[in-house]
Amino acid sequence: MINKDPMNTETPVIEIQNLVRRYGRHDAVNGLSLTVQPGQCYGFFGRNGAGKTTTIKCLLNLLRPDAGGVRVFGLDPRKAEVAVKSRLAYVPDLVAFYPWMTVRTTLEYLASFRRHWNRDIENDLLTRFQLDPTKKTTSLSKGQRTQLALIGAICPEPELLLLDEPTSGLDPIVRREFIETVIGAYQSGDPTRRTVFVSTHLISEFEGLIDEFTILEQGRELLSMNADAARDRFKKIRARLPQEMKLNLTGALQVKRSGREVEILANGNCAQLLAELKMHSPEELKTESLTLEEIFVASDVLKKAVA
Amino acid sequence: MRLQLDFKSGTPVYLQLVDQIRHAAASGGLRTGEPLPGIRPLAEELRVNRNTVAKAYAELESQGVIETLPGKGCFLKAVGSPLTKSARNDLLIQEIDRAIVAAHHLQISEADLLALLKKRLEAFARQHSAAHD
Repeated sequence: MINKDPMNTETPVIEIQNLVRRYGRHDAVNGLSLTVQPGQCYGFFGRNGAGKTTTIKCLLNLLRPDAGGVRVFGLDPRKAEVAVKSRLAYVPDLVAFYPWMTVRTTLEYLASFRRHWNRDIENDLLTRFQLDPTKKTTSLSKGQRTQLALIGAICPEPELLLLDEPTSGLDPIVRREFIETVIGAYQSGDPTRRTVFVSTHLISEFEGLIDEFTILEQGRELLSMNADAARDRFKKIRARLPQEMKLNLTGALQVKRSGREVEILANGNCAQLLAELKMHSPEELKTESLTLEEIFVASDVLKKAVA
Repeated sequence: MRLQLDFKSGTPVYLQLVDQIRHAAASGGLRTGEPLPGIRPLAEELRVNRNTVAKAYAELESQGVIETLPGKGCFLKAVGSPLTKSARNDLLIQEIDRAIVAAHHLQISEADLLALLKKRLEAFARQHSAAHD
């Protein structure tokens, strides 16, 4: 496969090209393309049913694409399943363990499939999460199951960590610990060999972690951007004018008015909109960036911008 | 030194860290020779990517604000910038011009601007001496 960026000679960790996957007549994924470079933390956002899990399952060869292709570490997961899977770890939204095993035997079992297993990290995390190794997996809470799955995913120190809605349904403290663990324990290795691909709709919690993201809608890419660039491009301007008046707000994504007050969504043209507003001597003028979550919530409006 | 990030500010996260650490150094929140928090604990505490913290520290190092001692971490540097006096003046003039432009658009008079500048200088001096008491 040809690498588009001549400066970047490294093989992308994930390459998805025109991926299509149908369930009967329903197109779950319909022409998705994206690239994840080594060392990135990539956010994969979308509503329920947007096709996030289907895409991730194609990366893992749990589903086969109907058209297009995926490559992981430059390899085709259908042909090189073991080579691909030995270099990644996956935490699904619903984790299941063998009910007759304890925490300790589950970890031994998971380790038996791996060439490498970091015992120090295992011990650190068991202590941190206060997980009792002698406990049966059936007696664990949902939060503890996710913690156990996370330990199982981090100890082999994989080059790619695939997280599918990892924190949904967990309490805020467990969620916070989960993210701190990804940052602290997982990212502590060689940064170019620590890539995270996380699908979530709890975006605000991952905001600081995300380098790039794709918003998926109905199986297609709605927007793919660098996180800092996105926060720079999409801004909300609030102004209170001395009286109601006509404004030239061309290029604004959205304008909401209530009497003398206007709220404008800027799409990379913040300076031009501010200049227009300043000409009318506003009593108050405020600008703030949209967070990634707000950008995601504004998807309907964004459709116009990217169309 | 307390660091606080704001994703709504429009400033890239690593630059927010750079600005706040520079602010802490100027107001005595961080003293010469004092260690900066380690990259991993700071990233965990702020819940940001480790690369972001590493990028901020690299930027501060290139600006001559901090230095990395191998195996020991990052420290606030004793003596100032490696740049010449006139180069430093030029950089500061850019910042001052920005404040003058902002003052114009906010309808702040010249006298008020100068008074405010003096007030802020005093505020930093106060913070600085309080930090060293």
